[in-house]
Amino acid sequence: MIAAWPLTLALWRRSLNEVTRVRGALLPATIAPLVFLLGMSGQFGSLTDLEGFPTDSYLSWIVPLSCLQGAGFAGAATGVNLARDIEQGWFDRMLVSPVPRGVLILGPILGAVSRAMVPVTVVLIVGLAIGAELTGGVLGVVSLYVASAGFCAVAALFGVFVAVTLRTQQAGPLMQQGVFLGVFLSTAYTPEVLLRGWLADVAHLNPATQILEFGRQATVEGIEPSFASTWPGLAALAGLGLALGSLAMFGLHRMNR
Amino acid sequence: MLDYALVGRVLVALSRRSVSTQFRRAQLVMPTFVLPLMLMAVITSGTGAARDLPGYPTVDSYLSFIIAGSIIQGALLAGLTTGIALASDIESGFFDRLLAAPVPRSTLVLGRLSGTVVLGVIQSAFFLAVAFVFGASYPGGPLAILATICLAALTAAGIGGLAAAIALRTGSLSLMQSIFPFVFVLLFTAPAFFPRELLTDTLRDVAVYNPLTYVVEGARGLLGGNRELGDPWLGLAAAVGLLIATTVLATAALQERLRRT
Repeated sequence: MIAAWPLTLALWRRSLNEVTRVRGALLPATIAPLVFLLGMSGQFGSLTDLEGFPTDSYLSWIVPLSCLQGAGFAGAATGVNLARDIEQGWFDRMLVSPVPRGVLILGPILGAVSRAMVPVTVVLIVGLAIGAELTGGVLGVVSLYVASAGFCAVAALFGVFVAVTLRTQQAGPLMQQGVFLGVFLSTAYTPEVLLRGWLADVAHLNPATQILEFGRQATVEGIEPSFASTWPGLAALAGLGLALGSLAMFGLHRMNR
Repeated sequence: MLDYALVGRVLVALSRRSVSTQFRRAQLVMPTFVLPLMLMAVITSGTGAARDLPGYPTVDSYLSFIIAGSIIQGALLAGLTTGIALASDIESGFFDRLLAAPVPRSTLVLGRLSGTVVLGVIQSAFFLAVAFVFGASYPGGPLAILATICLAALTAAGIGGLAAAIALRTGSLSLMQSIFPFVFVLLFTAPAFFPRELLTDTLRDVAVYNPLTYVVEGARGLLGGNRELGDPWLGLAAAVGLLIATTVLATAALQERLRRT
């Protein structure tokens, strides 16, 4: 059996090569959440005038959402890349190597999390530069990064599951839309008290709501860094990771058969 | 001597191919049909409380206000997929084979754009129907609905012209796929989902220069049967202006490509 860590590191490095060798590879993944950040704060900025909105800065409300969105898309890209490797036969060669199956996806997931730090950092810096408030201090920033990294890993596991199940790059939009839905069927635009109709119920059950709350400790005045705002987010990440990780491993083993 | 019957047949064939390609590829159907509907559903429930804001116009339902933005979003994405499909044809060599056909070269661009018009009609009619099922009302009546569909189709072709110009200049499929986020710049700098009066000051200033502002407000005025929501004629002028300008750009890009190859 080949030692797991050297292979994990090699696959991690391979995943990062796609960024260093392809010029502008990170540009769309960084621009998309920035566009959403600027566009949504411009469109819906007046919503903070509503009673029950915890902050008077809509930018502060939206920055963590855009960070999670950027991280989620970086994670979903893992699935697209894996589907490409499967289509081109490269992954079949990996499957015959004597390593635990989990190692084959751990490297690319670590690569995705590393890549995700670029859009998260850019969105945070731009957001702060144009008026978002850093109310949570260092602890808040750490929370935002942990929430983003965790969400990226969860999105990557979802992407891997879809890739090993459908085994085609055509499934790319499904991976991205899954992340899109996960993020937006939550308290993305307004807090739970201001949601209307079915979305209020869905957002209440959606684990992304807890992950967003965890990240919002950084910039939203009404959500102070505390254990009470942290543990539901961590639990949601752990639950999603366990569920999607199991599905991804199941798909990998089925592919191996 | 130009054979108009032949040109017509080529236009119809290319248009039909363009539409059927659209429905055969999941990566093209998802953004043009599924994404705008998803965003419409989420925005309607997520920001529905905005109706309580002072200055928000009186409308029958919040969905009735949002639908115009979703239609324009769909038109933008339909236009973009036109460029993606064209770039795919260029990369695969199919476009070069078309260039060998004994028809005016501009027909190749116009054929693609007429496909986008058809797609825009199908898409906007579908969105209006779905929104109606979920409670939207259109006090403007059937004629206003038809006029809105025309506005959407013209806008889709206008954006399609811009996307085709970029595809013809670069011939790069990956670049076309990468400009996806920039489409949202056009959408978000127009009052797509919120009244112009309630946008932030900066965005309100920028929106004046975005032709989609007038298209979306025109569609809103039509569907709501209320000129205070937007002037349909201004919307039509903006959509036609956009279409003419981008068709000229696409035709120039085609000429440039022909000179290079």
